[in-house]
Amino acid sequence: MGGQRAQVLDQRENQTEARRAAADGPPAELIFKRRLRPAQVARELLGARELVRALAERDLRARYKQAVLGFAWAVLTPLALCSIFTLVFQRAVKIDTSGVAYPLFAYVGLIVWQFFSNTMNQGALSLANNLSLLNKVYCPREVFPLATMLVASVDMLIGIGVLGLLFLVFWTAPAVTFFWVFPLLLIQIAFTYGVALVLSVAVVYLRDVRHLLPIITQMGVFATPVAYPLSQIPQGLQEIYVGFNPLGAVIEGYRRALLYGQAPDLTLTGIAAASSVVFLVGGYLVFKKLETGIADVA
Amino acid sequence: MSHDLSSRQSLPLGTIRTEQVWKRFKADQQRMLLRDKVEQLTRRLRGGRGEDWRWALRDINLHIEPGDSVGLIGSNGSGKSTLLKMLTRVMYPYGGVIDVRGRIGALIEIRAGIHPDLTGRENIYLFGALLGLKRREVASRFDDIVEFARLGGAIDRQVKYYSSGMQMRLGFAVAAYLEPHVLLVDEVLAVGDAVFQQRCLDRMREVAEQGTTIVFVSHDLPAVESICRRGVWLEQGSIRVDAGIKEAMSGYRDSIEAQSEAGGRVGEPLQLLKHEIVGEGRENLTTDEPMTVELTLGGDYRGDATLHLGVSEGTSSPIFQISHEIRLTGEDHQVACMIPNLPLPRGRYTLWAGVYSIGRTDGGTLMSWHSVGQFDVFGPMLDTPPRAVVLAAPVFVPHRWEE
Repeated sequence: MGGQRAQVLDQRENQTEARRAAADGPPAELIFKRRLRPAQVARELLGARELVRALAERDLRARYKQAVLGFAWAVLTPLALCSIFTLVFQRAVKIDTSGVAYPLFAYVGLIVWQFFSNTMNQGALSLANNLSLLNKVYCPREVFPLATMLVASVDMLIGIGVLGLLFLVFWTAPAVTFFWVFPLLLIQIAFTYGVALVLSVAVVYLRDVRHLLPIITQMGVFATPVAYPLSQIPQGLQEIYVGFNPLGAVIEGYRRALLYGQAPDLTLTGIAAASSVVFLVGGYLVFKKLETGIADVA
Repeated sequence: MSHDLSSRQSLPLGTIRTEQVWKRFKADQQRMLLRDKVEQLTRRLRGGRGEDWRWALRDINLHIEPGDSVGLIGSNGSGKSTLLKMLTRVMYPYGGVIDVRGRIGALIEIRAGIHPDLTGRENIYLFGALLGLKRREVASRFDDIVEFARLGGAIDRQVKYYSSGMQMRLGFAVAAYLEPHVLLVDEVLAVGDAVFQQRCLDRMREVAEQGTTIVFVSHDLPAVESICRRGVWLEQGSIRVDAGIKEAMSGYRDSIEAQSEAGGRVGEPLQLLKHEIVGEGRENLTTDEPMTVELTLGGDYRGDATLHLGVSEGTSSPIFQISHEIRLTGEDHQVACMIPNLPLPRGRYTLWAGVYSIGRTDGGTLMSWHSVGQFDVFGPMLDTPPRAVVLAAPVFVPHRWEE
């Protein structure tokens, strides 16, 4: 009993002490506020391009230094998924690809998905894994998720090479509308980086987010039209769907441009583009805001 | 405020300004789990108080001119490292303005950040990029860096096969060759062997001579004293003294002594009421010069006892011990011990004391063996501390050279 009472008193004393401490402080106008000057941010990021390259190079080298098959893994993972999809979705579920060979159809989606899931998974941990560094050296912190996206881009390039081989195997050529790929690529990058930014800083503040990653990855591959066409989603819902998951429009656009020789659906692409800009800018602002406290919590 | 900012534009490179800088941390221990956040949120929704905060730094105003060398001293938790982190821009202040001009270099240990699967060479380039160096700049300093880290042929081996000392030296070496305008150093001397510590200090002195601004945080007071001209003593987050290094240092030393005296032992038959460790003429202690230890013992024990005194390096490596029989009468007892030629080289030492009764088989502890306080010995060559040599052999031997 006595002990408890002492504890209560102790707590009360702590509280008053805390209040006293809160009472004094810097004058209100001097309280630090994060101000982002776009010019300065851009200059800093540009100055750090060497670092981005070095970090990406580190990850690539480190990843393949001990792996016997080296860069072959970047090919084998999507190929394995592609063959499973072919087995399940083509043979069992019988997805209608409107005359395009299913492996080609699925592989286009898988390239996008792999890029996203690699960046997301690695990018989310990119700050947490480098905390000891972040606590000692200053650099614009967004370079860490950026570097992981660069690594994923290298994998994507390898994936594109394999796609070329698949075109050979099925003896078709990419359609002449392929130039649509480039604006779509921008949407894909903006959305992916935005998600990686938010997750990377979220993992630092909330360790639990780490456990979300495999769930997002596993559900996402089926929630995104990777194995099936976007038309599987009901007509009226497609706009809303694409607003939340721009990758749906991106994959569909790639397929139209490369496989069907059509221009992407401009409404859906427009929504996806707007949404990805929101993801990128919003993600960046959240990141920059929370960035200031990383050293305090880590 | 705006004209204030514009005047700041013209500050020369290497200047450090902090104005009314405040920093606070959460007082309750924080775990990074969702569960705790939810708990916190519900508590706040129920109208309870949010979080407790504790000030780590209060109203720090520092003006450091280019080429200054400043030592930050103070006990653990006084905010030295927090301040340094904010100067590096790793941490952000709660309030106030921090302005550091020019390239900032931090001499830091980076072992954990170095990638174990990469070779030493790859890591040097990576670390260089992290510190803001161009590839070309690292390349031009590469040989110096490898030489400083004494890595030699190991440079193309994977870092995970390095000894921990080698890993640490690698990180330091890159930072040491940054050629920044402002060099921040946090406890370099806590790690690494004596030879490497010496090399770090030499490098810092070299950099200081080239006109780089230096801010040095360390508990190794003689080292700070040998490098810095100005001393800033932080206590509980506020600047207590900002003056010449000698003045700041003596104030800090006095406060340490006062604190260690206050912490007496209770519940034992004898207590050490007072102690004083002085050199000749009550001056600082110097190697091979006399040292006097004066003790006042209090307690109601009567009878014969043995007083033991000991000296250790730092707080753990014993160097010597001496003892003396005393007769206690139940009143305060004063005893002084004079060592005519102090056999200790430059450095920081701890004095230990204990009193045990004589003629009892159970040991008869009257005052258990405990550290009484710390003292610094000033060597003959204060400006170029031969640390590496000193730490290898802790005892000074009187001697004569002939040629």
